[in-house]
Amino acid sequence: MTHTIIPQLVRKDLLIWRKLILIFYGVSLATIALVAVLYGRIPDRALLNIGFTLLITPVGTLGVVLLIQSNVFEKAKSTQPFIMSLPLTVREFTLAKLLFNVPVFGLLWLVTTGSAFGFAFGLPLLPLGAVPLMTMMFLGVFVAYLYILGVSLLSQSLGITILGIMFFELATSAYLWLAAFLEPIASNVWGPVPVWNTTAIGIVTMQVLLAAAALVGILAVQSKKRDFI
Amino acid sequence: MSTTPAAVQCEGICKRYPHFQLQDVDLSFDQGTVMGLVGPNGAGKSTILRIIMGLVGPDSGRVEVLGHSMPTDQIAAKYEIGFVAEDMRLYESETIAFHMEFMKSIFSSWDDDYAATLLRRLDLIKDQRVRGLSHGQRVKAILLLALAHRPNLLVFDEPTTGLDPAVRKEVLDEMMNALEDETRSILFSSHNTLDVEQISDYITFIYAGRIVESRDKETFLDSWRRLRLTNANNRPLPELPNIREVQQSGSLYAVTVNDYNDAIPGEFICAGLSLDDVEALTLEEIFLSNVHHAKRAAREEFAS
Repeated sequence: MTHTIIPQLVRKDLLIWRKLILIFYGVSLATIALVAVLYGRIPDRALLNIGFTLLITPVGTLGVVLLIQSNVFEKAKSTQPFIMSLPLTVREFTLAKLLFNVPVFGLLWLVTTGSAFGFAFGLPLLPLGAVPLMTMMFLGVFVAYLYILGVSLLSQSLGITILGIMFFELATSAYLWLAAFLEPIASNVWGPVPVWNTTAIGIVTMQVLLAAAALVGILAVQSKKRDFI
Repeated sequence: MSTTPAAVQCEGICKRYPHFQLQDVDLSFDQGTVMGLVGPNGAGKSTILRIIMGLVGPDSGRVEVLGHSMPTDQIAAKYEIGFVAEDMRLYESETIAFHMEFMKSIFSSWDDDYAATLLRRLDLIKDQRVRGLSHGQRVKAILLLALAHRPNLLVFDEPTTGLDPAVRKEVLDEMMNALEDETRSILFSSHNTLDVEQISDYITFIYAGRIVESRDKETFLDSWRRLRLTNANNRPLPELPNIREVQQSGSLYAVTVNDYNDAIPGEFICAGLSLDDVEALTLEEIFLSNVHHAKRAAREEFAS
């Protein structure tokens, strides 16, 4: 009788936000196609900059719009009392939100990251030595997203979530600049082969651990909440 | 000895907020009965209901709903509860049918025939989007969703607030219809004493986070009287603990008493007053008298 209703909650959010998700996935695929069309028509350096912006904008925007709509507005629009009257705990509510948001964002992030790697190293626009830095860059986007998602779930406040977006975007940019200027990374970026030295592996490992910590932390904090309306 | 657990059993619930606190709330009623929680705005009615639903954790005290300890066993308990709150909203972009399908996917007890009957009786169109519903239609849609999975306990937080008289009657009628199943219980809060008087078996008055009085409705109504007296010789009134309110106009007195018994009029007659009439009070009058008394007691407590 007391089976979990997490699948029903995830399905409900997928149905409610299906149009928004499809629009962003469509826009994302269109930008990938546009970058492919632009190849050879504009200088490689320009394509690299424009392409990165074109690819990252839809996935970043989808992530932010979706977490605000599904997490922050759940409380702001008072649908939360309806959901919380159903047989679930705060922990299950949070788990359902994670299982909705992370895969929807994660899949588009994977497609975008794959495309970016394909364009950067397949065409090629960059030497293979840039693989570790680009890995850090795209992982950084994913980690920042998870922390912004955490802020939105824990606070359910639009103001605090926007501050979180600003903070984690700035922090990610700062961290990437710092990583790019680290000698063991910087000295290999323009090389012909990817160099996975201890610094590169250490940074990527730390990013993966930070991502895992974000997910565990969100669930741990939410599970301790005693008041959830 | 009955082994059926109480519909709701709260013991010594305390909850402190910066500007409000619930203090030692004891509340209990049996399955198959209706408990009306009455109090002015800000008295703590919604907080109590949210604690009972497991949505807010008490600082201390014990809560059991249908034998389930809350909030620990809230999942099992909430399968048996239908909750309607005045501040509850549905997803605006979706239809009533979408919400019905969603509820059906969660509750194996969902009754399609009953849902269809409720749609008809409540005059709702299932393909209508929530965005286009009036406040009354929205409340009726939430009521339908709460009723159609046939819960054992219905918890209503101010369900009739802001409704026009026609819709209010529809909602109350449907609450009454839900009681045809004699094992079903209802706990509902309201500041509208007429609604409470209409359907409750038990009534609890709450004021400033405290339970002021809690009894079955008949005892409640029987225990309060207003005595119309004439005090031609300006005699002092007898000092009875039952006196809750005294209104004076010249030599005419209206004395409101609680815990009324047949000996009370005699006390006034012995004190030299003449008894003109003994009137029963409406629940609204009892409520106002209780609030007045509780306010006075709070002022005296603060002053001391």
